[in-house]
Amino acid sequence: MEIVKSGVREQLDVLRLRDQFPVLSREVHGKPLVYLDNAATAQRPLAVIEAMDRFYREYNANVHRGVHLLSVEASEAFEQSRKAVRRLLNARSEREIVFTRGTTEAINLVANSFLRPNLKAGDEILVSHMEHHSNIVPWQLLCEQTGAVLKVMPINRQGELLLDEVESLISERTRLIGIVHVSNALGTVNPVAELCRLAKRHDVPVLVDGAQATPHEKVDVQALGCDFYALSAHKMYGPTGIGALWGREELLEAMPPWQGGGEMISRVSFDGTTWNDLPHKFEAGTPNIAGSIGFGAAVKWLEEVGVTRIAEHEAKLLDYATKRMLEVEGLTIIGQAANKGPVISFTLDGVHPNDLGTIIDHHGVAIRTGHHCAMPVMQFFGVPATARVSFACYNLRAEIDHFLDALEKARTMLT
Amino acid sequence: MALDQLYQQTILEHNRKPRNYGHLTGATHAARGHDAMCGDDILMELIVEDGCIRQAAFSGDACAVTKATASMLTDWLPGRQASDIADWSNQFQALLKDHTLPDAPELADLNQLRPVSQFPARVRNALLPWTTTLRALNQPEGTNP
Repeated sequence: MEIVKSGVREQLDVLRLRDQFPVLSREVHGKPLVYLDNAATAQRPLAVIEAMDRFYREYNANVHRGVHLLSVEASEAFEQSRKAVRRLLNARSEREIVFTRGTTEAINLVANSFLRPNLKAGDEILVSHMEHHSNIVPWQLLCEQTGAVLKVMPINRQGELLLDEVESLISERTRLIGIVHVSNALGTVNPVAELCRLAKRHDVPVLVDGAQATPHEKVDVQALGCDFYALSAHKMYGPTGIGALWGREELLEAMPPWQGGGEMISRVSFDGTTWNDLPHKFEAGTPNIAGSIGFGAAVKWLEEVGVTRIAEHEAKLLDYATKRMLEVEGLTIIGQAANKGPVISFTLDGVHPNDLGTIIDHHGVAIRTGHHCAMPVMQFFGVPATARVSFACYNLRAEIDHFLDALEKARTMLT
Repeated sequence: MALDQLYQQTILEHNRKPRNYGHLTGATHAARGHDAMCGDDILMELIVEDGCIRQAAFSGDACAVTKATASMLTDWLPGRQASDIADWSNQFQALLKDHTLPDAPELADLNQLRPVSQFPARVRNALLPWTTTLRALNQPEGTNP
């Protein structure tokens, strides 16, 4: 839970926080690492690394299978993580939390188990123009196989969803709306609650891609009013290869399993098989136990540090970096929504993002360059690629200064 | 340092003022090379007569490594037999992978791209103009890319 002392929320002690991230003390090409690629994946605090290490050292066993102590301890830790994720999202029940490999798998689960069984040719799925490929391609595959149609909710030049135009796109054939909570390519925070209210009026379920939201804001799926919420642990200081799907219990209950195997069954015989209860019905095979435990540790760590305090710190970094970057000649920020997460995509005249990425890497600065798995966004803004800086709780103003110095060095070198 | 070797004067010059940049009238072969991950998008155009490359040009938007490679390559291609380019391409690729190999004198300026080998993430950029040229040559004459 968030630490509040004497009624006033303390500011983040970033320097002390940084000590918890071993990788931040390393050097890159002989320079101190300045890690500004957090939207791709965040770094892990000791709390997460040690939780996973402890599992392997002290109680490694399979879950929900054995009567021996190690298995009991592993199962307990695994289910504690599910409880932590339930708290994180303010879901009503742990039965609504399905562990997946990450956001992508969570969306694919919804595509294959929720939509596919009832989808008919001519049915429609709506997604925004700013989606990550993971919230486009699963629907395209489904459309190809069923004859359903994928329609696109438009955005403006600031990179904001045109909510007013969404209603006209909803028809009686609309079966689902997919929306990214915070855009990884633009930083835009979408008006998900408003969109959900609108969708509810037309009885259309909404899936939210929350990969970039959970590290930066308190998410409450009940307050948002969505039907599915997908997330990845590694964007929020947890391990890779683990994430979760939250779904409204009555929807998950009605959905068939999507992968068959152990764990997801109640009784198997050659005459027929019955499914396990939620959420195990959707968790076939031995799960990523260490990953789940690390995920739980990341949630607890976020609760202790306080996501609101993190958000305040990151908002200051975003403001400062935006102001400084707008002063750089020839620099264009792609995505200037009024409500943004700590992500800045940009282009620099005369310097290809690829070259920029390579050159500033040699000054210790790690940024992302390319299409950010959101090629339709690049097409919308008419750029082949962008460079992107993205901030996390441990970033410092001084690191933004260092990045901007490196940017000038790259420009001098190339032009 | 390695960075200065990659962004050495010759490569920077080719990036700033690429040779053979533009379109060819009467191109017999052309192909588009697109590396979505990096954002490189080039068009290679060739005039081939009796199996011999007479002229080469490129256009598009790309990083310094791709542009410099395309610039040097289009300078180097005229006079070469189209059927030999696959072997040359393999040789160039070998030079980028194994820095202990001696330079290949026949590849002339293209040897200057060898520091790319120290930047594994960028090797693909130096190969794009080559693979695009090979694709152009493998297409039937007059195919519109």
